[in-house]
Amino acid sequence: VPVVSPSVPARTRLDFWFDAVILVGYTVAYSYGFTGVVIHEWLGIALGIALLLHITLHWDWVVRTTRRLLRPRGPDKLIWLVNLALLFAMTLCVASGILISRVALPELRISLPLDDPFWDRVHTLTAEVTLGLVPVHVALRWRWIAGVGRRTFARRLR
Amino acid sequence: VRFLRQVAAVLAVVTVVVLIGLAWHHFAPGSFGDQGGPGPHRFVRGQAATAVHRGVKVTPGVELNRGGPSGVPPIQLGDLLEPVNLAVLWNTAWIEAAVIAAVVIVDAGFRKRRRARRGRKPPLRDGASCSTPQR
Repeated sequence: VPVVSPSVPARTRLDFWFDAVILVGYTVAYSYGFTGVVIHEWLGIALGIALLLHITLHWDWVVRTTRRLLRPRGPDKLIWLVNLALLFAMTLCVASGILISRVALPELRISLPLDDPFWDRVHTLTAEVTLGLVPVHVALRWRWIAGVGRRTFARRLR
Repeated sequence: VRFLRQVAAVLAVVTVVVLIGLAWHHFAPGSFGDQGGPGPHRFVRGQAATAVHRGVKVTPGVELNRGGPSGVPPIQLGDLLEPVNLAVLWNTAWIEAAVIAAVVIVDAGFRKRRRARRGRKPPLRDGASCSTPQR
């Protein structure tokens, strides 16, 4: 059984691994040509639920940073803006994906009488926007990721 | 209770965003114009692609599965490892890696400059022990 560094709090470890899983899941789900429609849709729905949990786990940060936005030199303004854009893009991407679902919704015996190319285009557009924003979202936290990763893996390798 | 309250807040925010999307659809449904087809339907071998848009080139060797009566082909997990499909995954991973690397380099540069600026103290006069004016 691998030993985990006691210096990394359990909550930090949860955030680290959960976010890593979301990133991998997003990368796979975006690669529609890799997964095919069935995996793409189910993975997309799972990602939607995971994202709700992700935002909930970081809700304190959202509230704290939003309150500090009016300060002239708030440190997290750029991150806040990127996250807001990502929230919009990701939510619309998952929602439009559900609306145009061909496999998952029928499987759940839900039928939406939608035959509107608008949602197809929203899905494509927001997916492409998220591909630009997700790596930025990750990279703006690279010091935290590097720090937690170093502490976690250093102890595991011992 | 606190967690549930946070979940409710997140759901409210997400609902607002979805409502904005629905309003967009209602008030400006033609904002995308009529050009271009939906979705990245051009890559797949044996799985998702059931049609190719006009003008899209299909790589030699790529087969399109027309699917059953529903038009949805069954899952064939073996197909995921086909080079033509793996290339799509690598492509996504490369784009992400490139953007991450670019942002990290820019961010590190900014931090380094900021640190250097903070570390640079104003020149001291002879005998002065600090930068505040002496009376």
